[in-house]
Amino acid sequence: MTATTPPVEAPRRRLHPLSPLLHGVKTLAVAVAAISWQGYAQLGPLRWAALVAALCVIGLAVAAVSWRATGYQVTGRELRVSEGLVWRRTRAIPLERLQTVEVRQSPLARLLGVAELRLEVAGGSKTEAPLAYLGREDAAALRETLLGRARPPAPHGPAVAAVPLLAVPSRDVLVGQLLTVQALTLPLPLAFIVAQTMYAGSGSLIAFASTVTALVGVALQPVRRVLADWSFRLSSDADGLHVARGLLELRRQVVPVRRVQIARAVWPLLWRRRGWLRIQLEIAGVRQADEEETANTLMPVGDLATARRLLPTVLPGVDLLGLPMRPAPPRARWLAPLAQPTLAVAVTDEVFATADGVFTRRYNLVPYARAQSVRLTRSRTQRLLGLASVHLDTGAGTVTAAHRDADEARWLAGLLTDRMLRALR
Amino acid sequence: MSSDGATDPFEAWPEGVAWRSVSPRLAVVLLIRLWVGALVLGALVVAVVTLTGLALSVGWALTVISLLTLLRSATIVRAVRAWGYAERDRDLLVRHGLWVKQLSIVPYARMQFVDVSAGPVERAFGLATVELHTAAAASDAEVPGLVAADARRLRDRLTELGADRTAGL
Repeated sequence: MTATTPPVEAPRRRLHPLSPLLHGVKTLAVAVAAISWQGYAQLGPLRWAALVAALCVIGLAVAAVSWRATGYQVTGRELRVSEGLVWRRTRAIPLERLQTVEVRQSPLARLLGVAELRLEVAGGSKTEAPLAYLGREDAAALRETLLGRARPPAPHGPAVAAVPLLAVPSRDVLVGQLLTVQALTLPLPLAFIVAQTMYAGSGSLIAFASTVTALVGVALQPVRRVLADWSFRLSSDADGLHVARGLLELRRQVVPVRRVQIARAVWPLLWRRRGWLRIQLEIAGVRQADEEETANTLMPVGDLATARRLLPTVLPGVDLLGLPMRPAPPRARWLAPLAQPTLAVAVTDEVFATADGVFTRRYNLVPYARAQSVRLTRSRTQRLLGLASVHLDTGAGTVTAAHRDADEARWLAGLLTDRMLRALR
Repeated sequence: MSSDGATDPFEAWPEGVAWRSVSPRLAVVLLIRLWVGALVLGALVVAVVTLTGLALSVGWALTVISLLTLLRSATIVRAVRAWGYAERDRDLLVRHGLWVKQLSIVPYARMQFVDVSAGPVERAFGLATVELHTAAAASDAEVPGLVAADARRLRDRLTELGADRTAGL
């Protein structure tokens, strides 16, 4: 690694000079929210404006000082981020631990031509050291530098031009999210609210407000997904897979193919008539907090043909239709009355695959090289029925073949252990 | 080991494996822990009832607690007997559980680090727990109730076998 890229000591660099302004705007929004309308009513417009202006100045000053104290530097095989004026902290991030580097642009940052760089580190529970903000070109260049040093030299020589793999029509993303349980059931409470306001009069303001709040909570997930997956584009080059997406907030991510632990093909109930599905990736170290639910999507929505074309970019040689799925024995119905018909398992040369899900059907695929351990479990009731479950653990979750025939489970566990050991090299 | 016979996948498989059982003294450790816990709980119930004058029969509460404790005591001995581990060439096998039987297979090469821990009661009986951690949180390779020397030997062997290779991330 060091032989091909001599470690150049990059100078310590500052964030973009507009960063304090952007941070200041955030502080301002928080401050205004804190003073709230009640404060406005008590203070009167003039004093309120003065207070907000004062907070603005303070916020900007603090942001400017912290901007002066913040710096980053790529030294050898580390990224160093130093910050804080009173409590100084320098964080050193070993580049080989980097999982993904994401460039993010909020609407405001887009206007100003700056971007935020987010780093995901293996073993870290959250996004470490967001660098906010860098100039757009600086962010892209730094990402290239970080990823270039993070990965071993590409086997096929110099960088290949990016190959576009997928462009999802935004209309499909929208329709796909309209065809969710949340979106379809929305008219019900909506009608309820209308009816309530029409007949119950003004007495039930609290009930009204709480219903609206609940409604927003329900509708939030599909809305978020639409916003996040708008104009979704996937391309690939020597670095791995590149994703660009987002309506309000533009995001550019690199998904390191070698770190995909589990790939899931998901068929939500209401998508089945259209023959649509989604492909999700689970990557070690990247937790799926609810805000990040869409973080590792390979295909937000698409048909089976597209899915079959895309999946081999992550799991070479895997065909969604070519998996020799073996269904669970009929007596598994005693323990999984609804899911039994969907439970299945396949062991191919490339992956361990399981199928499950009653309403939302899923295929879960694990490449053997990512598996960490095999577990064979059997409860008392399973024992009565001669059943057992086999689990394959990865750094980003476990894939389970539930309720297999006991002898088959034993055979599966042995086979998986063998494949896992052989994949080590 | 038990009367399950050769039809049981957890007894007969994998073939030709030299299972090692954990020290029977682990049962004593677990029993002491259980009884101390039960005594504390009983004392707490008595104290609360006498202090607050709660309308609760102390006799009944204590009977229930002691019955549950006795029941658990009976299973502890069997649970300790169910624990076992085996070191194969390239992986560690650990099995345990009465209600839910579990057999874990963890390749040494997937090991991130090894923990050796011992609580006060365990230490008094010269026992320790060895736990092998992988990158997967669900991996479960914990071997309790090892005689201190065994624990040390297992740890050294694990680190030695796992040191040259780490993979899978």
